[in-house]
Amino acid sequence: MTDTVSPTTTGAPAPEATGRSRRVDSDWVRRNGVFVALALLLLFNLVFTDNFATEGTLRLQLVQVAPVLIVALGMALVIGTEGIDLSVGAVMALAAALIPLYIGYGTGLAIGISLLAGVVVGLIAGVLVAHVGVQPIVATLGLMVAGRGVANLFGGQIKSIRDEGFRELGTGSILGIPYVVAIAAVIAVIVGLVVRRTTYGRQLVAIGGNKLAAELAGLPVKRVLVTTYVVSGLLAAMAGILLAARSQASDPTKLGLLMELSAITAVVIGGTPLSGGQVRILGTVAGALLMQLITATLIFHNIQDSWAQIVQAVIVIAAVYVQLGRGTTRKSRTT
Amino acid sequence: MTSTTFSAWKTLAVAATASLALAGCTNSGDDSASDQPAGDDKQVVKESEASGPGCTLDKYGATKLDLKGAVVGFSQSEPDTAAFRAAETASIKSAAKDAGVKKLIVTNANAELPKQIADIQDMLNQGVQMLIVAPVNSDGLDPALAAAKQKGVPVLTIDRKVTNTSCSDYVAFLGSDFYDQGVRAADAMNEATGGEGKVAILLGSSGNNVTDERNAGFKEQVEKEYPDLEIVVEQTANFARDEGQTVTEQLLQSNPDITAIYAHNDEMALGAVTAVSAAGKDPGEDIKIVSIDGTRNAVQGIVDGDINAVIESNPRFGPLAFETMTKFYAGEEIPEDVIIEDDEYTSENAEQDLSKAF
Repeated sequence: MTDTVSPTTTGAPAPEATGRSRRVDSDWVRRNGVFVALALLLLFNLVFTDNFATEGTLRLQLVQVAPVLIVALGMALVIGTEGIDLSVGAVMALAAALIPLYIGYGTGLAIGISLLAGVVVGLIAGVLVAHVGVQPIVATLGLMVAGRGVANLFGGQIKSIRDEGFRELGTGSILGIPYVVAIAAVIAVIVGLVVRRTTYGRQLVAIGGNKLAAELAGLPVKRVLVTTYVVSGLLAAMAGILLAARSQASDPTKLGLLMELSAITAVVIGGTPLSGGQVRILGTVAGALLMQLITATLIFHNIQDSWAQIVQAVIVIAAVYVQLGRGTTRKSRTT
Repeated sequence: MTSTTFSAWKTLAVAATASLALAGCTNSGDDSASDQPAGDDKQVVKESEASGPGCTLDKYGATKLDLKGAVVGFSQSEPDTAAFRAAETASIKSAAKDAGVKKLIVTNANAELPKQIADIQDMLNQGVQMLIVAPVNSDGLDPALAAAKQKGVPVLTIDRKVTNTSCSDYVAFLGSDFYDQGVRAADAMNEATGGEGKVAILLGSSGNNVTDERNAGFKEQVEKEYPDLEIVVEQTANFARDEGQTVTEQLLQSNPDITAIYAHNDEMALGAVTAVSAAGKDPGEDIKIVSIDGTRNAVQGIVDGDINAVIESNPRFGPLAFETMTKFYAGEEIPEDVIIEDDEYTSENAEQDLSKAF
C-alpha cells in the first residue's frame, strides 16, 4: 500500500518548470530516504554485528519499538493537521500511574480507566486548539507539565504491579507474536486505513494542507481537530499501559519522559512534513524502527550513550534538512 | 455549532486545564511523600575518614545559636518521588522535631540548579538561622552560598559535595564515600560469583559524580583483586528502572555469555531482574546481580533470591546533621568531610534487616 495522502485541492504551489529534476530528487529522498537507511542499517547489522541475526534479537527490537510506534502514529495524525502534541509523554505517565490504583478492581477496568484518562487529556488539548484557538505547541506544552504533575500526585513513588493478566499483556504472545507487537501492528494498519480510506482521513489532510480553505469548503474543522487530539491521547495512554505492563511497574516521574521527542523524530524522519497536509504511516513505522535500530546498534557495539544521542541528533537534523531541500535548491539557484 | 456550546466547551477546557495545573502544583514542596516510616537505620560516622583540617565556630565566623527554638531551612535537590529523597527529607524533618527547632522550612528544587539558588535565597529572606542543603550539583551554588555567608547563616551540605571552600563558603560535607561503595560492590560481586564471571555494568547518568565514583571504585577493585571477573560491557541506564530493563534486554542479546550485572543503583537492578526473567533466565542464579542504594524493593529482591547483594547508601542524614551542627555551635572542631558508614545487604541479613531499608 502506498501511504502518502496529499490534499488534491489544497496542495502545494505548482512546481516551477526549471530545476524540476533536482526538486524531484530531494523529494524522492524525503519520501524514501528512511526506507533506504533502515535497509542499510539492518544489512550492516546482519552482516557485521555479532549475535544480531537471531530471532531473539529481532523480536526484541519489535517489542521495544512498539510503544514508541503507537505514540508516533497518533503524533503523525496530529502533525498531519499542522499541529503537534507535546503531552504524549505525560499522558503515558498518567495512564501508567492509574493502573496500580485500580488494578485491584480488575485488569480490564484498570486499563479502561487509564485509556479514558488519555481520552480526557486529548479532549482538553483538542478543545483548546480547535475551539479556544490556543496554538497546539502552547496548549500541549501546558498539558505536558500539568499531566506529569497529576501523574506524580496519583502515582507518587514507583510502584510494582503484581497482576497476572497485566503481566500476560506485557510478556505474553499470540501465535508466537508478542501481544505488544501485535497491538502496535494492528493499530498501524487501522491508522493507515483510516488516513487513506475514510472521510475523516481526507478531511484531516485537507485541514493540515490549508485550514482556511478547508473551513471555507465547509469541512468540520473543529470536530476533526478535536478527534485527532483525542486519538493521540488515547494512543499515548495505550503506549503507557503497555510500557507499564512490560516492566510490571509504574514510575510517574520517569515513564514516557522525552517520548514526545522520540515520537516527533520518528514521524519527521519518516517523511511527514511538520507543515502538515500529509500523513505518512509506513514512513512513520520505518522511522520508529530506524531509531530503535540505531539504539540497538550502538548498544551492541558498546558505544557510549553520549555518542548515541549525538548520532540521533545528526539523523534528525539530516531528516529536517532533506525536508527543507526544496527551499535550499531554489535558493542555491538564485545565488 | 452554536455559540452557546462553543463557550461551554471553552469554559470546560479552561476549567479542566486550570484544575490539572493546580493539582500539579500541589506536588512541590509539600510533605505528602514523607509520611512513611524512615526506618531505624541511623547513620554512623566512619572515624577513619573524618578528614581535613577542622572547622570551628570562630574560624567560620558565625554567631552561637541554640538549635532549640531556631529557624532552620532544608533545601532538597530532587523530587521526593525517589525513595532516597523521600527518606532523606523525612529524616531531616523528624530530626528537626527531635532537636526542638521552632520552624523547619523545606523546599524542593526539582533537580534544577536555578530553582535551588532561588529557594535558598527565599529561605534566607524568611529568616532561617541555619541551612542544610542537598546540592543539585557540585558546581554553581555560589550565589546562594554567598548570600548565606553575607547573612552569617552557616550551611551544612549533605549527600553531594560542592567544590567551594569548606569552613568559608560552607561548614562541612556530610555524606557517603561513593568510590568505596563501588569497591564494596566489587567485593560483593566476587562473593556472589565465586570470583569468576563476565560482568555487565549498568551506569548511572553520564556526567554525574556518583556514577563516576561508583564505577571507578568497582573497576579499580576488580582490576586489583579479582582477575577472573571480566567486565565485558558497560552502558548507561540513567538510574531508571525502565531503562535498566530495556538496556539489559539488549545486553543479554548482544552478550549472551554475561553471568553477572553490576548496577549503579537499585532501580536499574530491579529493571535488570525483569529483563533477565523475561529472557527465560533466573536472576540471582544464572545472572548474579549486585547494586547500590538499599531501597525496600531491592532488599526484598534479595529476600526473593533475585538480587545477590546491595551496598547501602544511607539517606537518613537528619540525626547526624543536627548532631554535627550542635557540636559546631558548641565550639567543637568539625572535619571538612564527615563520611558515614554504609551497611550491606546480602542473603544472610536481608530478611531480618528489611525494615532498615528505605
